[in-house]
Amino acid sequence: MWWFRQVRAVFVKDWRTELRTRHALHTIALFAVSTLLTVSLALGPAGVSAETRTSTLPVILWIILLFAAAAGLPRCFVAEEEGHTAAALRLTAAPSAVFAGKCAFAVALLVGLELLLTPLFLALMGLEIADAAMLVTALVLGALGLGTASVLVAAMVAQARGRGALFPVLSFPLLIPLLLLAVELTRGAVAGSLPPGVAEQLLLYDASLIVAGLMLFPVIWNP
Amino acid sequence: MKTLLRWSLWLWIALCIVGAFLYAPLAEGFVGQSSRILFFHVPMAWCSFVAFITAGVHAIRYLARRDPAQDRAAEAAVQLGLLFCVLATVTGAIWARVMWGAYWNWDPRQASIVIVLVFYAAYLVLRDAIEDPSTRARLASVYAVLGLVVSPFFFFVLPRIVEFTLHPDSVINQRGSVDMESRMLQVLLAATVGFTALFFWLHRLQIRISTLRMHRESEELVS
Amino acid sequence: MILPREGNCSRTSQPARYTAAVSTSSFRFDQLTYSYGPRRVLDRVAGTTESGEMLLIEGSNGSGKSTLIRCLAGLQRPQAGSIQWIDQGRELDDVARRRGVGWVGPDLSFYEALSAAENLDFFARLRGLAEDPAVEILERLGVPPQRLVGALSSGMLQRLRWSFALQHRPGMLLLDEPFQNLDSAGEDATRALLRQHLEAGGMAIVASPIDLGLASGRRLVLDPTRSGGGA
Repeated sequence: MWWFRQVRAVFVKDWRTELRTRHALHTIALFAVSTLLTVSLALGPAGVSAETRTSTLPVILWIILLFAAAAGLPRCFVAEEEGHTAAALRLTAAPSAVFAGKCAFAVALLVGLELLLTPLFLALMGLEIADAAMLVTALVLGALGLGTASVLVAAMVAQARGRGALFPVLSFPLLIPLLLLAVELTRGAVAGSLPPGVAEQLLLYDASLIVAGLMLFPVIWNP
Repeated sequence: MKTLLRWSLWLWIALCIVGAFLYAPLAEGFVGQSSRILFFHVPMAWCSFVAFITAGVHAIRYLARRDPAQDRAAEAAVQLGLLFCVLATVTGAIWARVMWGAYWNWDPRQASIVIVLVFYAAYLVLRDAIEDPSTRARLASVYAVLGLVVSPFFFFVLPRIVEFTLHPDSVINQRGSVDMESRMLQVLLAATVGFTALFFWLHRLQIRISTLRMHRESEELVS
Repeated sequence: MILPREGNCSRTSQPARYTAAVSTSSFRFDQLTYSYGPRRVLDRVAGTTESGEMLLIEGSNGSGKSTLIRCLAGLQRPQAGSIQWIDQGRELDDVARRRGVGWVGPDLSFYEALSAAENLDFFARLRGLAEDPAVEILERLGVPPQRLVGALSSGMLQRLRWSFALQHRPGMLLLDEPFQNLDSAGEDATRALLRQHLEAGGMAIVASPIDLGLASGRRLVLDPTRSGGGA
């Protein structure tokens, strides 16, 4: 119980500081929207040809989400190290609770971003969704894995030099399976049919990242 | 004793090379002499696999005991693993050009080896970005362990992208039986043993070099 | 134990309600060695302190005082040596030690976007405190609770650090330059807090490059010429 209270305290604290400073919120939202506008303008009124829409457009959606996460999420630990607040957090909180609280914050932020970006994306690209439930599954499971991996890597990057450039270098190789599975699931949502086992594999990936994170985070966090 | 071992390793590998070109027959259905690359390509791919597992084991040992020697061993294994990985990728690409007409086909195994390459290159970039030796060792070890957690996903996620593979089931086929001409199999197994021994010998050399370099740096600082 | 200073401010003369939660304990460290890369800052350092006692760490700038305090707090891991905290016959592990110490140091910072009270409330929740004595300490030290930490003066920030360190009634206070940036009223108030902590059976390890005028049975002098050689 106490552990859950710690998780909630970290989550609430992160949202409170975020709502006052709006570092990550503004970065992520503006990054995603301006990238979407750039892509849709670059594609022009013709857009993507009818035969390839189903396979191409989900890729664009996930690439935007991936880069928006890379632009905004590293801050959640970089701010703790740069502001020297990490030491006080290390002395008072269980490492796994810090990890879980930060993950909850990152996933909530990503889900919020998806709520903003996905309708806009579907409207601008003129993409029809055959299976809305499957799209929601893809977005939620994708956000879960993306948030968890980003928090793990951000905690490492925060202790290194060259943080901005290092984050994508370290996180993208980790995220390739997630990206491929999430794209596959989104394609399924557009087409209305899906090869079996994709959602299960994505769930398995998320679960192994969370378990690995809970085990490894104390080592990342404490000297 | 050591000299004897080293010379027998040289002799063994020399015999493998001779065997590969003179003793083993050509495989059916391959263009020209191209099947002979198998005796080098497969052992090198195997060695990079062994090297990354070795790195993971040393990383776990480092995290358990915090002995800097374990971290140096992990780093040396990753460096050699990358070397073998590049060699396997290049020999594979040359062979793919001969057999399939293009250096790169996004064959699942090509894709997975290149992702592994990027992942462990990121491991070295992470090391470069951290100045404090104990922080560097700790975070690099965590990243190597994360690699062990995520890499199984490459094996069953990537075949989704390209559902068919051109890659020959080189040693063990779908039926789980060994399906290869016996002289070819002898040379292949001998080469694999030889390359594995070569890897461990190079690994020890690399550890000695990095240990000596560390001692020299601390001596320079004192004087 | 502590030399009283002249001009005690009125706050310190209020009745003491703060009590440390320990009765008998000991804290010892031995053979502590820490290097930043090849540069050795701590070379087999040893020290000990017990309930109600204070260990003073003296040494010039760069002699490794802050590093030693951070190692003792569990914020840095020494390459060699042992740290042993026995509390009522029971030895505390690394995790318990981190949670059990009260640390004041120049590199202790708080969330600038939150107010002083919000910061302490957050750490009280993490520490699982039902009632938060820091509110009272904050008041006693005269820190405006509703002001954002980013807008606090450096002296007020130091007072907030003291409130954070004493919040969970720690058995061990680790103080790194504890009176820096404090005016005389602030220094008197925090000295009184330290005295109360010791009188209630708490332990303290205090590091400072200058003589703080603290009377103490034990002293540890860090000598950079000895530890710089990397023996």
